[in-house]
Amino acid sequence: MKKFINHPENLVEEMLEGFVKANVDKVRRLPTERVLVRKDAPVKGKVGIVTGGGSGHKPAFIGYIGKGLVDAVAVGDIFAAPPVQRVYEAIKAVDGGKGVLLCLGNYSGDVMNFGMAAELAQAEGIPIESVIVNDDVASSPKDRMDNRRGVAGEVILWKVVGALAEEGADLAKMKEVGTRAVFNTRSLGVAHTPCIMPSSGKPSFEIGEDEMEIGVGHHGEPGIQRMKMMSADEVTELMTLKVIEDLPFKSGDEVTVLINGLGSTSLLEMYISFRKVAQILADHSIKIHRTYIGEFFTSMEMGGFSVTLTKMDDELKRLMDAPCNGVHFIQH
Amino acid sequence: MGVSFERVKMAFVRILEELEKNRQYLNDLDAPIGDSDHGDSVTNAFRKVKEAVDKYPEGDRDIGKLLQEVGKSIIFSGGAAMGPLYGTAFMDAGKVVSGKPELTPQDVVTMWEAFAGGIARRGNAKMGEKTMYDTIYPMVESLKASLAAGEGFEEMITRAIERARQGMESTKDMLSLRGRSSRLGERSIGHIDPGAASSFIVIKAFLETLLEK
Repeated sequence: MKKFINHPENLVEEMLEGFVKANVDKVRRLPTERVLVRKDAPVKGKVGIVTGGGSGHKPAFIGYIGKGLVDAVAVGDIFAAPPVQRVYEAIKAVDGGKGVLLCLGNYSGDVMNFGMAAELAQAEGIPIESVIVNDDVASSPKDRMDNRRGVAGEVILWKVVGALAEEGADLAKMKEVGTRAVFNTRSLGVAHTPCIMPSSGKPSFEIGEDEMEIGVGHHGEPGIQRMKMMSADEVTELMTLKVIEDLPFKSGDEVTVLINGLGSTSLLEMYISFRKVAQILADHSIKIHRTYIGEFFTSMEMGGFSVTLTKMDDELKRLMDAPCNGVHFIQH
Repeated sequence: MGVSFERVKMAFVRILEELEKNRQYLNDLDAPIGDSDHGDSVTNAFRKVKEAVDKYPEGDRDIGKLLQEVGKSIIFSGGAAMGPLYGTAFMDAGKVVSGKPELTPQDVVTMWEAFAGGIARRGNAKMGEKTMYDTIYPMVESLKASLAAGEGFEEMITRAIERARQGMESTKDMLSLRGRSSRLGERSIGHIDPGAASSFIVIKAFLETLLEK
């Protein structure tokens, strides 16, 4: 294993220590639990937004703490859901009197821990709603949407509900718009190289030198098809068409495009891929509203990228365009 | 014979010892179908359990309350999918033996039946889905059958451990239908489920402690 770490057991703690020190202007850590919150949390009169999950996805989740994005992150171990107590403390820390929205990916560990924390908080009178992200078209067929996992589409959800909360929306409205954003978001990833698990020093999955896997998940979960390596145009076309046909995105639609690097794929490659996405969307008469390209939600140093499309409406456009000031996501 | 409060307390010491020994084995089982951290997660959770058990008030000998403290500690600080499942199971197990300073064989059966019920409730688990439930459910059925047949305590426990082992091993040939490993489809076949393996370690250590002289 070639990683610049100290001891695998201390890796998350040491990373957080560095993160908090580097970003004292935007975040603070709760004294009792492994939870990071917006410096000025709780913001009075604003719905609080709590997200979280396993570590290993930098800049997700903690890089999205900030004005116009999320208020708190419950930090788990590498690829493992955070425990109930952590989510519960996160909720309590950001409740500004209007309730708290939980945003999470559709993984059994996250769903159970966030769900139990929500029950505890509700019992104390804090209104809670949840939006569960399931944008990965590779993770289950369309008739089993409830079984699909959440991937880069979580970034779109944070952006949308974060902007909405700053506008002063109530919890019910946040739930409604967040759910709509998730429903209109579809993603598909590809990987040719696994990440190495720090605890074991072993790769998250085995794959041949000349192979790639379409539909790979954010923890190296296998996808839908293992194939020989393709060119940027070929693989981008394969992925983009699958994403388009899944919603389906139609002629005349407007979309936000997110090309997300999974950890060790260069920005150079992502721009080549986006060039092809843009051509395909133009061929389908689908208009691009906004484009994001870079590392938004990685799987440590996995080699590969994902394509996410979100169908826009006027409200979603306004929210995507709103400014935000997260640690790793700033928009003017 | 009854199982004393001290014996149950000791069971959690033994569970942690066994998990520490098998930590890497469980991580390795988790590697092909998960993310090779199940040994770490479950060992860390039971380290917290050991702390909770050590902190349990001197003089209070309520086994039900002790088990609920164990459950709470796993729920609150366990994390992953394992935390809510083991946590709920021990909470439920504690509720049915509440107030008891000593367990009869019947109580042991009732306790594990509630434990299995907790897993089923929290995880919507069923047999044959390649989960910890495949270890636990047959073990509970075996305890119930032994009790009904009037078997001796030692025989009942030994048989139950063996059934748990068989249950764990049966997951090897199963297709995963739950959790992250279910994404593997056919490729999940041929590997023992890490949750089934960790629950075998937990059950075996617990039950064997009840037989210690």
